[in-house]
Amino acid sequence: MKLPRLNLREQPLPGGQPLAFGIGLAIALFVGTLLLLGAGHDPVKIYSRMFEASLGDPDAWSITFNRAVPLGLAGLAVAVAGSMGLWNIGAEGQIMAGAIAAAWVARIGGDWPGLILILMMLISAIGGGAILAIGPALARAKLGVNEIITTLMLNEVAIRLVQWLIHGPWKDPDSFNFPLAPMLPDQARLPTLFSRAHFGLLIAAAVIVVASVAVRYTAWGYELRIAGSSEATARYSGISLPTKVLTVLVLSGAIAGLAGGVELAGTADRITETISNGFGFAGIIVAALALMRPSGVAAVALLFGAVQIGGQSIQTLGVSSSVSTILQAFVLFGAIGAGVFSRYTVSFGNDSLPVNEEATS
Amino acid sequence: MNQPSSISDKEPLSVELTEVWKRFPGVVANAGVELAVQRGSIHALLGENGAGKSTLMNILAGVYRPDSGELRIHGRSHQFRNPADALSAGVGMVHQEFRLIPSFSVAENIVLGSAPPVIKTGQLESDVAEMAHKFGLEVDPAQPLWQLSMGERQKVEILKVLWRDAQVLILDEPTTVLTPSEVDELGQILRRMANDGRSIIFISHKLHEISGICDQATVLRQGKTVANSLPMATTSQDELARLMVGASPAIPNRQKTTTPGQALLELKNLSAQSDRGVNAFSEINFQIHSGEIVGIAGVAGNGQRELADTIAGLRPSNSGTIIMNGTDITTESPHRRFQSGLAYIPEDRLGVGLAPQLSITDNAILRVYRQQRRGPFILGERALSYCKDLITRFGVRAGNLSGPIAALSGGNLQRLLVGRELDGQPSVVVASQPTRGLDVNGVKAIQDLLIEQRDSGAAVMMISEDLDELLAISDRLLVIEGGVLRGEFDPRTASRQEVGMAMLSDTKVSSKP
Repeated sequence: MKLPRLNLREQPLPGGQPLAFGIGLAIALFVGTLLLLGAGHDPVKIYSRMFEASLGDPDAWSITFNRAVPLGLAGLAVAVAGSMGLWNIGAEGQIMAGAIAAAWVARIGGDWPGLILILMMLISAIGGGAILAIGPALARAKLGVNEIITTLMLNEVAIRLVQWLIHGPWKDPDSFNFPLAPMLPDQARLPTLFSRAHFGLLIAAAVIVVASVAVRYTAWGYELRIAGSSEATARYSGISLPTKVLTVLVLSGAIAGLAGGVELAGTADRITETISNGFGFAGIIVAALALMRPSGVAAVALLFGAVQIGGQSIQTLGVSSSVSTILQAFVLFGAIGAGVFSRYTVSFGNDSLPVNEEATS
Repeated sequence: MNQPSSISDKEPLSVELTEVWKRFPGVVANAGVELAVQRGSIHALLGENGAGKSTLMNILAGVYRPDSGELRIHGRSHQFRNPADALSAGVGMVHQEFRLIPSFSVAENIVLGSAPPVIKTGQLESDVAEMAHKFGLEVDPAQPLWQLSMGERQKVEILKVLWRDAQVLILDEPTTVLTPSEVDELGQILRRMANDGRSIIFISHKLHEISGICDQATVLRQGKTVANSLPMATTSQDELARLMVGASPAIPNRQKTTTPGQALLELKNLSAQSDRGVNAFSEINFQIHSGEIVGIAGVAGNGQRELADTIAGLRPSNSGTIIMNGTDITTESPHRRFQSGLAYIPEDRLGVGLAPQLSITDNAILRVYRQQRRGPFILGERALSYCKDLITRFGVRAGNLSGPIAALSGGNLQRLLVGRELDGQPSVVVASQPTRGLDVNGVKAIQDLLIEQRDSGAAVMMISEDLDELLAISDRLLVIEGGVLRGEFDPRTASRQEVGMAMLSDTKVSSKP
């Protein structure tokens, strides 16, 4: 019987992951074409509109950049934890915590000079995200409690906190009873770089570069990668796993918190119920497509930002924004599916029995 | 050797394996094995680790396909493609690791995989209870599996095979998880099944158990049958042990270049637990001196892995002390022990000694990266040149040094690991199965490195399952069995039989009535 079999490549195919991403995009566009045709739209028109709105001119680029900033930071947060084999599913909540912390600084420092205010807001955002991650980090490091569950559950806590604030103590008296916090003072907003792109782009880029260098070239990052590859090897070589788990999860939360602060001061300008806008969950996809490598996060975030902005733009043409969500999902499926082939070759063997198992006794 | 043909004249054979060959990359596991099991008997299959028992039974149970050879069940020739084929021919295997689902009931576990489309729980449970009663395998069919003891779980595994109406049952080291009274009970259950006309193949290392339970014994050594269907009634345990370990091979000329000096490693009353929470080894006392290799011989799973881990600091000790170079290191971290001169070559190369997903260079610098820093950064150039140096000196054949280490062959992995550990001029070397799975050149290279360490004054402890290797390179030989040291031998004068008996006999239990 001829059955296809996957054989591990000795070396992953060079450039395999970008290729896989491209194939994923192609699959997504193909499925999207069928979808659009089925719904009675002209795919060429829709796709060109999506492209123009996201990458067509500097204005479009600036909007895409603004979207890529929180996606990239959230993706980085997940990828830093993922480098050690930890899953921070709580970036969504940590983004909210960061935004709340930044907004709180803006409330008490409304008359501070802009530079100091913004700086304090961002530091506070980092702290807010870190605080939300401390519980799961301690539980994992000291007691071995699964961090996936704890970080995920804290998302619920964070969203309730946001809801309580904007329905209660922080509710804007001028909001005509909408659940919104007041706008930030003008000097609390991040400066604009060009068109609509804000300064957060540079912050995100800098943080991603620093984190990538730290993971790749420092002793700290080396220990992180050892622990991520094999906990037993880490113990063997004298790396303290509890300390590592603790610092990495808190750092991951801190980066997500920064994403919340930047999003608030750069784009949102006020706390709303949708302040985190799914960035924390999209960050998991971004990190997964970047193979948990901080250095890959920026490119993936940019492409994802473009797909999201493009998807929003076609709503004016009567296409549901769900189309863009479906496209994102198929980019992920396609890229993960295609990614398999960068690590495996396919052969058609006629023996379904395990022949390479080691003889034990 | 007995003639199987003379047996088959008297009784119908339920299992007949002839000239079975099975090769794995780099090793011949079965080289023309013969096995003949009579209907209604309990047949012991004996052999040291690596003798080819498990491979042979996996062939009989349809897990592996033999390269050549004939397989007859109840006189009919078969070629099994998978375990289901073997089961439909009436061959069922009870594996050493149980394959049961904790949240399912006993009855559900038993019918798993062969359940009718509609399960009537009451009917099923009474059917299971009836069958269990028939063979004396008393278990409650409705009880969830997680509540059962290891002995009870084994009964469930046996019932699983009986439920599929297996006429030939293979039990792979069934007594390792059992208490002595459970072992006696198992013997009675097996006898009942044999009286019912079934055949049982019983794999074990423990000779005293086999002599009480089994009717015949077949002994394998180095993939060949060395004794075929010996009647247990007239065969002594000594004779079986000698057959298993073989005659003393000619020991190569040993030039002893150093005389042992001061004690560098000393264990005093050391005890530790296994992962399952039982004592892995207890009250271990010995010293290793400068300039000697002490071999630790024993069948796998008798505490030697845990002993090595405990000395290296990867497993906490329950009691006792470890003294290295005169300092008590019992509570020191693994890294502190390394810094004070302990090199550890763990049994699991990839996964403990080496990080599989990291590059060759990253793995090479595992012990020195703390010194190769400027500020927080690891100096890439120095790491690379260190790695190149290690590779050249220890003969590692590696292509792309920034490629993943998992791409290296077993021999090259071990050369890198051993080289890295020995590079810091350790005073004590603990090597656990350092040559296992390597080809001839690899074995030689690793042994030479350990001998070199001894000659330069290190104290070397070497754990191996290969008795010939230990006899060839160690200066003293300790035997561990059941977590206890059973004897000390001088490899120059000790015979293979003596050491083999110490490895296989359980002096505490073998003196039973």
